[in-house]
Amino acid sequence: MPDRLKHILSRVAEEMLGELAFIFSFSDEETEPVPLDDAVAASITFTGPFSGSFVIVVPDRVLPGLTENMLGLDGGETATLDQQHDALKETINVICGNILPVIFGKQMIFDMGTPKMITESAAIQEAVRKEDKPEPASSVSLILENGQCDLFLFVDGEIPAGADGVEPD
Amino acid sequence: MAVNLLIVDDSAVMRAMILKTIRMSDLSIGETHEAANGREGLDALDQHWIDLVILDINMPVMGGEEMIDHMRQNPETKDIPVVVVSTEGSETRIERIMKKGAEFIHKPFTPEVISDAVRNVIGKGADYAGST
Repeated sequence: MPDRLKHILSRVAEEMLGELAFIFSFSDEETEPVPLDDAVAASITFTGPFSGSFVIVVPDRVLPGLTENMLGLDGGETATLDQQHDALKETINVICGNILPVIFGKQMIFDMGTPKMITESAAIQEAVRKEDKPEPASSVSLILENGQCDLFLFVDGEIPAGADGVEPD
Repeated sequence: MAVNLLIVDDSAVMRAMILKTIRMSDLSIGETHEAANGREGLDALDQHWIDLVILDINMPVMGGEEMIDHMRQNPETKDIPVVVVSTEGSETRIERIMKKGAEFIHKPFTPEVISDAVRNVIGKGADYAGST
C-alpha cells in the first residue's frame, strides 16, 4: 500500500504541475527534503469518510516561476508576493482535489478546507516533521527545473486496504 | 454579442487564469467582474448586468452551490448560465451541481474545455427554476 500511495501522489502531482503551471517534474526518492530555511509551504485539510491534510513545501525560488507560468506573464512582468502565495495555495488545492478521488474513489464526498500558507520555517517544521506528529501516510519529492517540491499526505486513521485506487497488501 | 462575465473564485490567481483562458477563446467578452466568494458574487449580480457566471465550489463565506441556489430562487438571476470550475472529484456532488443547470469542468482545464463549456451553457438558455 505505501508504494501504491506514493505512486499516486507523484503521478497526480506531476500531472497537475504540468497542466496547471507547465512545470515538468519527476519523482526522486533519494533526494534530501527541501531545506526549510528558504522554503515556503501551503496546506489544505479535507474531511469526509477520511480526514487529513496535504502539505506542499517548495524553496522560495520556485514560486516566481510557478506563478508566472500559471498567470501566463510575459517577460518583464513579475508576480507579486501575494500572487505567488496564491499560486502555491491554488496548486495544493488542485493537487488535493485530484488526488482524493484516485485514492478513495469517485463516490466518496470530501469537503476541502481553504488552503493556508505557511511561511515561517518553524511552522513548516511543525507541519511536516514534528516528532510527536503521526508519520505522513505518504510523501514524495519531485525534482523541478529550478528546485524541488515535497508533498505530504496526512490521514487520520488507517486507509483501509481495498479502498478504490489502493490495492490490498 | 459581447458577454458580460462574472468570475467567482477565492483565488485571485485562478480568477486571472480563467479570464485569460476565456480571452484566448473566440468568445466575445464585454464587461468582466470578479468576486472572491458566493456572497460577493450575489452582490455583483445585484449591481451589474451579467450574462455568464463562472464559479468555484469550495469558497469561504458562501460556496458555489449555495450561490447557485440563491441565483435559481431569484427571478432576476435564475436563468443566468453558470459554469462551475472546480477540483470537486465526487461524482455524486458533480451530478447534483449539474442538476442545478450548471455546466461542470474540472481544474485544471484547457482553453478548449472551458470554451466548449461556455458555448454549451450559453446555448441552452433554459429556465432552471425549481432545479435546486
